[in-house]
Amino acid sequence: MMSFDARGYLGPFPPPEYSFRWYESFFSDDYYLHGLKTSLILAVITTIVSTVSGVSAAIALDRYTGPGKQALESLFLSPLVVPAVVIGFALLLFFALIGVFDGFTRLLGGHIIITFPYTVRTTLAGLVGIRKTLTEAAMSLGANERQAFWDVTFPLARTGMVAGSVFAFAFSMDDVAVSLFLTSPDTYTLPVAMVSMMRTNFDLTIAAAAVVLMMFTLLLIMVLDWFIGLERLIGKGVFRS
Amino acid sequence: MSVLELSHVTKRFASFVAVDDVSFTVDKGQILSLLGPSGCGKTTTLRLISGFEEVDEGSVMFSGMDMKGRRPYERNVGLLFQDYALFPHMSVEQNVAYGLKHRGYDKNLIPTRVAEMLELVKLTGFEKRRPSQLSGGQQQRVALARSLAINPEVVLLDEPLSALDAKLRQELRFELKEILGAVNATTIVVTHDQEEAMSLGDDVIVMSDGKIMQQGHPTEIYANPKTKFVAEFIGRSNWFSGRLGPAAGAEAREFETAEGIRMLVPEPDCGGGDDYEICIRPERIHIERTDQVQAQTEGPVNALPGVVVDIAHLGADIHLMIEIAGKRLITATEQYNGQTLEQAGQAVVLIFSPGDCIIVPAGS
Repeated sequence: MMSFDARGYLGPFPPPEYSFRWYESFFSDDYYLHGLKTSLILAVITTIVSTVSGVSAAIALDRYTGPGKQALESLFLSPLVVPAVVIGFALLLFFALIGVFDGFTRLLGGHIIITFPYTVRTTLAGLVGIRKTLTEAAMSLGANERQAFWDVTFPLARTGMVAGSVFAFAFSMDDVAVSLFLTSPDTYTLPVAMVSMMRTNFDLTIAAAAVVLMMFTLLLIMVLDWFIGLERLIGKGVFRS
Repeated sequence: MSVLELSHVTKRFASFVAVDDVSFTVDKGQILSLLGPSGCGKTTTLRLISGFEEVDEGSVMFSGMDMKGRRPYERNVGLLFQDYALFPHMSVEQNVAYGLKHRGYDKNLIPTRVAEMLELVKLTGFEKRRPSQLSGGQQQRVALARSLAINPEVVLLDEPLSALDAKLRQELRFELKEILGAVNATTIVVTHDQEEAMSLGDDVIVMSDGKIMQQGHPTEIYANPKTKFVAEFIGRSNWFSGRLGPAAGAEAREFETAEGIRMLVPEPDCGGGDDYEICIRPERIHIERTDQVQAQTEGPVNALPGVVVDIAHLGADIHLMIEIAGKRLITATEQYNGQTLEQAGQAVVLIFSPGDCIIVPAGS
């Protein structure tokens, strides 16, 4: 609502008039646009890398039965319980130590680390629900291990994988705490840009930026809904009987 | 030649011997039941045949061919899982066609074969349904159609009826037998339920601790169990332990139980000391009221006096709890034919011939 406020100052709610002036201001501000562009590229790459690696890790974890399974699982999920600020700071030190000073690389590394637990988690949840007998049934019917995986396990776990990638995208778009530490003067994400704008010259362009940020995640979910159907996506799983 | 032959098969998990020197054969069209309590090795045996586990010693042979090293998809086995394991994301039709696709059937012939299988299990018209839209019994029939579609050499059924409720079970048992008979399937049924094993199987193998305890026709297993384990596992029984005495006539021996009750029992098949255990099935005991004992026809007979302690009328059967010799309770079953029931506290005589007793060596 506030992003449509026509007034040039922060007045009492509700606004007497509405306008798109803050959106115009947002889309004509290079500082924001640059942040948005970085955020989008970062989120897309993060989602892809995080989903692929998370799904692989989850499949490996699901099959692996040897000792240390629990420990590995906790290790993969640990970024969830460590405060983002701690991760951000630790990563900053780590990247400095190994000599990575490029802002985008640092951001990408940070975002993959914070989104990875979500893709592992959701995929794992999807895989655990698949009974072992289904794979065995496929094999007794003539499918080898690989065919059984693609015919049975993969379609049934897809729900979890897609949910994980949506989470990854949303968290990457949204993250401030980790990104704050890893940005460089010329590479920053939209949320970081918003925070710094909030500190320097606060106006309602920030509200417009927040809406834009939200729109992208919503858009992704809507596109996915269009293609696969939302209830199948994150619902209780039509595939599980 | 037998379709399936297991010869001295042994399987160990670490130091635990799951299957211990098991040998048996199954002929074309025969149904064999593997019966035993959980952990007796019957499921491992099934997995060894289907190829999900490899034998440590011995061999599994299909029509004379050793299956060693062959993966499940390289053996021609139809598996019916306890939970049916239908692919939830595929329709009934796709489920049944799955095996045909992977077994290299001609693509043009698959629809005909699927239709044929669905007709066999009486599910024509359900082609497009998802498994979740079917009842438990229908799901099982789809699973059966799926496993039979590939024309397997051996069909393995894992507790096929245990997931269903009692009423449906009886209906499906009959249907299952009919369908398996129609395709002349060579079948192994693995179950812990004696009713399931005995009603489905032409032959029953009783297993315990990875070993075969006894193999035979259901009637043979029930009437002539070789060990206490088999006798106890199949059917209800009254047990007496005691010592064998001298012969009494041509076919009977005297027997004195630990409680001091004397009775006549059959000659044991196998020697081994004088300590034996006697089992009397509840339904083999004939109950007479003390005041109505009729003259017995011929041959030696046991007539133990007792007192009715409890009586329960369960529809067709009447279950009686009777105390004999003032110290021992035994159960007896009578069929209800409209007779006047005995009363608790009533004095009766339990009549059974030596032939009604099963005698096994003590501690078996």
